[in-house]
Amino acid sequence: MDLSLNERQQLLRDAAAAFIKSEASREVIAEMDSANESFNAGHWKKAAGLGFLGMAVPSPYGGEGATLMDTAVVFEELGRAPLPGPYFSSGVFAAQLILEGGSEEQKRTVLPEVCRGARIVVPAITDWPVRWGPEAVEVTARPKNGSLVLEGSKPYVMDAAVADQLLCAVRTGAASSNRAEGISLVLVDKGTPGVSIRPLAGLWTGVAEVKFESAEISAERLVGSENRGWNVVDQSALRVLPVLTAYMAGGIERLGSMALSYSQTRVVFGQPIGRFQRVQDHIIQIYLHLDAARWTTYHAIWKLENDRPANSSVHLAKVVASEGYHEAADLAAEVYAGVGIAMGVGTVPHVRMSRAHYETLGNPLYHKRRMMAALQEEDWPGESVRAQLAKLNAGRETLRASR
Amino acid sequence: MDFEIRDTPEVAAFRKEVREWLDANVSEDLLVHSPDPADYSDEQYRKRRELGRKLGAKGWLYPTYPKEYGGGGLPLDLAVVTAEEMEARFLESPPHYDHSNMPAASILIWGTEEQRRTLLPQLLRGEFVTWMLLTEPQGGTDLANVQTRAIRDGDDYIVNGTKTLVGSDRAPDLLWSIVLTDPGGPRHENVSWLLIPADLPGITIHPLPLLTNTSGVRIGSMPFKHKNSVYFDDVRVPAEWRIGEENKGWKVGGTTLELEHGGAGNIRHNRLLEWVFEYCGTTQLGGQPLIEDSDVRDVLADLYIDSELQRLFGLRSYWMAHAKQKQSYEGVLSSLHRRNASERLAFGLQKILGNAALVQDKELAPLSGYVNLVERAFFVSIHAGGSRNINKVNIARRLGIGRGYVEEAAPLPD
Repeated sequence: MDLSLNERQQLLRDAAAAFIKSEASREVIAEMDSANESFNAGHWKKAAGLGFLGMAVPSPYGGEGATLMDTAVVFEELGRAPLPGPYFSSGVFAAQLILEGGSEEQKRTVLPEVCRGARIVVPAITDWPVRWGPEAVEVTARPKNGSLVLEGSKPYVMDAAVADQLLCAVRTGAASSNRAEGISLVLVDKGTPGVSIRPLAGLWTGVAEVKFESAEISAERLVGSENRGWNVVDQSALRVLPVLTAYMAGGIERLGSMALSYSQTRVVFGQPIGRFQRVQDHIIQIYLHLDAARWTTYHAIWKLENDRPANSSVHLAKVVASEGYHEAADLAAEVYAGVGIAMGVGTVPHVRMSRAHYETLGNPLYHKRRMMAALQEEDWPGESVRAQLAKLNAGRETLRASR
Repeated sequence: MDFEIRDTPEVAAFRKEVREWLDANVSEDLLVHSPDPADYSDEQYRKRRELGRKLGAKGWLYPTYPKEYGGGGLPLDLAVVTAEEMEARFLESPPHYDHSNMPAASILIWGTEEQRRTLLPQLLRGEFVTWMLLTEPQGGTDLANVQTRAIRDGDDYIVNGTKTLVGSDRAPDLLWSIVLTDPGGPRHENVSWLLIPADLPGITIHPLPLLTNTSGVRIGSMPFKHKNSVYFDDVRVPAEWRIGEENKGWKVGGTTLELEHGGAGNIRHNRLLEWVFEYCGTTQLGGQPLIEDSDVRDVLADLYIDSELQRLFGLRSYWMAHAKQKQSYEGVLSSLHRRNASERLAFGLQKILGNAALVQDKELAPLSGYVNLVERAFFVSIHAGGSRNINKVNIARRLGIGRGYVEEAAPLPD
């Protein structure tokens, strides 16, 4: 048993931390946030140069062949900033979707460009504001002379505005009672006639509405088998979720360390505010969320990397990180009081990111349901507990019979 | 990163040895498992004491302690194996109420070499039952303010005072006590620790029944009928039973408190929750298993998350404590989470099981009445072993909240 990061992971962590420190400091991120910028080409280029895009993609396809843990360690650092941009959506999730579902040719043509940062591929999966799942995919793709004609809209697609291509989940199959069937993944170029991308303003930045109005794409843009797309989405999500939760853990860490240092320097009623137990309680709660998010993430990754049944742990990690990051942002904002919502201080980007990623790839209610189903599939708690309970019940029956 | 012990040939061989020994010495019927203290006879207690001594003789009660003092002298990987195999059999270490680990750790770190050679072996071999005496009638949380006096008289201390909310319903051999050795001295520089033989003249023990008399609910622990008050009336304690320097007890006590507050970690599962899940999967209400009810599933999901966090935090502290990693707030955080989780567990079980959670009837109560024990134990668990609020004070200090510096964790044996 060894719960430390290995040397390679420590080096990666340090490299990512150095990158954030020099390129994406609190001030830089706060400025971007004030200006409503959710992408910086300079950051993107540097990150690509450091090998942070498509890290887990095998090297024949242009990636680093890094492990999931390596990737998570880097993403925790990126999440500390929090660095906005398609680092996860293109560099991790889209890359995994193509690895899982793409043809050999697609892997050879698309992945190297994703890893170099030369092509930004953004997944656009569900069409509803809430509820992750195949039933939320409604955009249709009807065949027409060797093309597919797309109709419908995906109102909340993160990073869509900076995408070169959207990797879209669309309905190609006939209507059936099993909504998980009949979904396909297709690559749609930015600028395709009939495809409009409209950035949205509000608490969530970097999100856009994508509309398809008789948008025609070549049928060769299909990624993976027709009508089996939801399976690819689900399998890919289960693999990459811990990278997202690592990013969120990084956000919690930054909120904790910001609140901590503020508690030491902000003087009110003649003393540093951290001397007040109510302020202490807020910060302690942030650290509880940090450790919870980090360790459930590491544990899920360990299971995935060691071929253990991992699904229950992956779902659990998303619940913990979602609730944790969401609350940590509230608590830190409260420690900072009015200053906490001033643009330029550094808490606001985390408020936004915590709200956005609460929903990404499914909210806690969804993941709790999936976690319980996974525990049943994994036969938890298992045979030995069944035997123990049988013994207990036998004892009870004997007692009852003797009365 | 690796959350499991890899069974190398050496580890596998050791595991086989441990299993064989446990199979031979812990038959399935040896230990009674019941939440009702009345089910534990004197004979059962005698068997548990004997088993504790046998485990002690193997060095498995204190597997990582130095062999020269009676410990197992085992590296982390093998120590975990003993812990895992005992845990799998609901076997606690030792299998009866005992806080010998507190003076043992303190003697190892703060004691004289003479004390290490004479006292430690008997403690590590499980020969003694130790009660830990901290709380007094006027306070427990403000531990530095203890009023039980131990005034030097020649080669002895004369001890007078009262300790309360301590012990179990079986007689102790030793009383690990924090006492006031310099009543006029400054706070934090006036207390000391004495390991007091319980049979000295002048010591009286009175039973003190509480709503529940066990702070943890673990299948395998012996619940007991009452706690106690202990009265010291001019008790003459030889000074050689003082551990650590006189009046330096606040520093010495750091080790005891660090252990009490979760610093050593553990590799435990929440067995009770596993039983609850299985129970909900097999018990029907209105023609369907409880677990098929979405409200029940929602509650169970939250309880499962709590238990996984508890397990991971305990494991993390266990690794840090035994792999010589410098700890900060981790053990205390895990203690805080454990108590918060126990609060949610108690309430969650009532939400799922309703009135059945409130009775300890052997026929009607789920899981032979363990659930009812949980309902009552929660009230003790939130403050026994240091209150939640003290945990928060410690976490704040270890993080350096509001201060320019960070408090260090006290030393633990490694």
